[in-house]
Order: sequence, then C-alpha cells, then structure tokens
Amino acid sequence: MNDLATDLAFELSGVCKKYRYFTLEDIHLKLPRGQIMGLIGANGAGKSTTIRVLMGLVHQDSGEVRVLGHRMPAEQVAAKWDIGFASEDMRLYDSLTLDWPMGFMRSIYPNWDGAYAQILLKRFGLRAEQKMKGFSHGQRVKASLLLVLARKPQLLVLDEPTTGLDPVARHEILRELTGVMAEEGRSILFSSHNTQDVEQISDQITFIDRGRIIDSMDKETYLDRWRRLRLEVPLGTELPPLPGIVGVERQGRLAVATSNDFVPDLTHAYENTGARVQSIENMTLEEIFVANVEHSREEVEA
Amino acid sequence: MTSSVIGHLILKDWRLNRRLISLCIGVGLIALVIAQYGGQVVRLLGSVWFFVSLCILGSMLPASAILNERKKQTLAFVMSLPVSSVQYAIAKALSTSAMFVVPWLTLVISALVFIETGRSIPHGTIPMLLIVAMLPLVAFCLISAAALVGESEGWLMATSILCNSSYWLVWYLLARIASLAANWTRPVAVWNSTALTILSVELGLIASIVGLALFLQSRKRDFI
Repeated sequence: MNDLATDLAFELSGVCKKYRYFTLEDIHLKLPRGQIMGLIGANGAGKSTTIRVLMGLVHQDSGEVRVLGHRMPAEQVAAKWDIGFASEDMRLYDSLTLDWPMGFMRSIYPNWDGAYAQILLKRFGLRAEQKMKGFSHGQRVKASLLLVLARKPQLLVLDEPTTGLDPVARHEILRELTGVMAEEGRSILFSSHNTQDVEQISDQITFIDRGRIIDSMDKETYLDRWRRLRLEVPLGTELPPLPGIVGVERQGRLAVATSNDFVPDLTHAYENTGARVQSIENMTLEEIFVANVEHSREEVEA
Repeated sequence: MTSSVIGHLILKDWRLNRRLISLCIGVGLIALVIAQYGGQVVRLLGSVWFFVSLCILGSMLPASAILNERKKQTLAFVMSLPVSSVQYAIAKALSTSAMFVVPWLTLVISALVFIETGRSIPHGTIPMLLIVAMLPLVAFCLISAAALVGESEGWLMATSILCNSSYWLVWYLLARIASLAANWTRPVAVWNSTALTILSVELGLIASIVGLALFLQSRKRDFI
C-alpha cells in the first residue's frame, strides 16, 4: 500500500512499548489526511515516545503502526521520504553555518523548494551564513522547522516545537504551520503541553497521560461537550452521580460539577435533587485537559 | 536513493572531522621526518610520536564522529532522514573507517617510503612496522564498535583507556618474540610465519569486531 492508497496520514493500533519505569499502553490513534492533530500531555506523559514509535525510531513491543500507508518500523525508509520530523531538543551541527544543512537537505530531497527556503529565512529572521552555535533556542527551532518545511513533506511530525519560545516566535511558527495546510493532503501531528498553541491550529486533539490515550476527538466536539455547572445545593442534600458528570467539587452550599457530555437534561436532573443551577460555563481547552487528566487518574486509581 | 543518503551522511562526517584528520596526518608526517633525520634519541621520539598520532586519531575519531552525534543531539536530525538504523550504522562504520584508514594508510605508506628511500633505518623493520601500525587500527575498530553499540561516553572512555594503556604491553610482548626481534636489523624485510600469523590475527580481530558491532546494532529496538 503506498501513500496515495490510504486516506489516513497515520494509524496506530494497540501499540505498546514497555520501559523499566514507563509503559506506553494500548495506543489507538489515527489522523485523516489534510488535518492537524495536537497531542497534549504533561511532561513524561508519553508524547515523545508515541512520536518516536510513529517515526520508527523506537520499535513498539506490540501493535501496528502505519504512516502514509507504510508499516513502521519495517518500511520506515520509504515513509521518511514524505515525513518531516523536528523536535524541540533536536540540534544541528554547531560548527557549521545554516547554509550547510540547507544544501545537505537540497541534495537529498528532490522536493526541496529553494525559493520557499529563502522566504522562510526572511520570515524567521535567520541568516544562512551564520554559524549555528550562535543561534538562540528560538532560532534553532526555526532553523529545524525551515529544513523540514522547505522539503514539502506530506506529513509533519513536530515534537514540542513551540516549547520555550517567546510569544512572537510561537506565533510565527504556528502561522507557518497553518500555511502548510493550504496545500491539499498535507497533515501535521504536533505535540505540546501548551494547550493554547494546540487549540489555535488543531482540528483533532488527543490527550495523553501516563502512557495512555485518555481522549481523542475533534476540537469543536471537546468545546461543545465540556461544561462547568455552578450549583447551589441545600445543606444536607447529597448530589447523586449523574451520567456525563466526571467531577464534583463541593464547599458548603456551593458545588461545581464538570461534565464531559453536557446535555440540557443535566440541568433538570440537578434541579430535581433540590439544587439550583447558578450558571453553565464553557471551558477552555486547558481546563478540559486538566479535568480529563484528573478524571482519568481517578478512574485508574479506583 | 537510500544509497545516495548514505553517501551524503559519509560526506557529512568527512566535512565535520576534516580538521582532526589533517592535524593527525600533519603530526604523523612531522614525526616521520624527525625519525628519519634526527639522532638516535630524536629518532626514537619521532617513532613514538608517529604511533602516538595514530593512537590519538584511533581514540578521538570514534568520539567525534559517533558519540558526538548523540551527545550533541544531532542524532534525531540524522535519523529523521530516510535511513534505517542499520543503514545509519553502515554509514557510520564506512565514514569513520575511511576517516581513519586514509590518514593511517598515508602515514604507513609514508613510513615505508622513508624506510625504502632512506639509509638510516634497515628494511628489516618493515614487518614490525606493519604489525605495530595495525595495533591502532584494531584499537580504533574496538573503540568505534563500543561507541556505536554502547551509545555512551562511559563505554567509549573505558574501551579507549583499555586500548591506549595496552599498547606498551603489546609492544613489549612483540619485542620479546625472538623470531621477530632477530630480523629487525637485517638489510631486507623477512616475512616469516610469526610475522604473517600476527598480521592475520590482527586482520581477523578487525573483521570479528566489525561483524559483531553490525550484528548487535541490527538487533537494537530503540535508537534515540
């Protein structure tokens, strides 16, 4: 199966990878072509391991990985021609100028777009003749991204590309990533623990925690389904467990219920117990992520 | 197309290590000239410096070409290219070997030319020169294999210390082999069975180390 024979940019099915102190458990994840997926997780949640399995850099113990129709890691060489990978901790060769990796990539990839590379140099404020040991963290990330973007790969896999960047640099990078999607069929997987970045550009959002995917759906569905209900509850009244409620915090007469599947009937259900619904609030992606992680951990510990 | 990527990786390593290679060739050639034209003590110093330049290259090249890729976090960049881990190992083995063998051959051939054309060193030293010059090549293969498979500075340092501290012992043991020592001062090179056996053992060691390193690399499951 080649890259044109599938509508999926990648698919992970039942992927497990065990280390001494960390296990990636039963990962199921897929991204249709032409979409951006944001992979959100706390530090050590398994984002980088998932990405490395996807890239064939780490071999899964079990499960199947397909990227652009290629089985990984067996067909990683064929797949990597169409994957652009950059990570926050990736370094280039400090003793050389940026010119060198640009020429290196041009000599390897027939799709290298020299004119676009020059445009990116200007947009990112980089100098091709500057030695890379003088680059700041932001410049290093931008240089890595330039090398990936100018290749015009079908799939961009970016491991925390915006971590440690100032707001201007983050904006420049996110704008460039959005621009990539103007070309049909290109896809992006990008990991971050910054929910704002992910919310800004992603179509699909996946939460990962302690080596497990705890939720994965499109951004609008998250924002539609998750609500926070502020309640006033008479003293002595217990709130019953209701379907779609993942957490309740109570202090005296006041309670805050968090729903991951909000429907108007929830309001009536609470009112029937004697509680008064003071407000129903939308939640930010960050709040949804934190609530999701807490709920998932409670479930695992129970 | 993948073979072209391997070729680019080899050229990249040459570019990054060309200063070290040039420096070792330069030091080795100066040492040879000193060994050729100086007095007895200076000649001894020149010979020692000649071998030291090969030993230093054998230790520093694996650190610079193999371990630095991991230490300086450039491995992720290389492994994002369309190559597998085994192809990466092959590219590393080829580039690092070539980067050692070219200066090694340059210096050994230069030494042979100096012996052939000069009058001060008898031709009987040629078998011993080749046997002793093969030692840094064996050590280089061992240190490179440790760096590639062990992936840590600890393994590289331990192997490097072990190899570099063993040269003197091996030289001493070689000097005690009567069938070799007896021929040093002869005007012609004597290729007796002892010399040929030692050279064969050295070549066999190199082949075993390279084969084992590639086998172990092919069994790895994690590369970054």
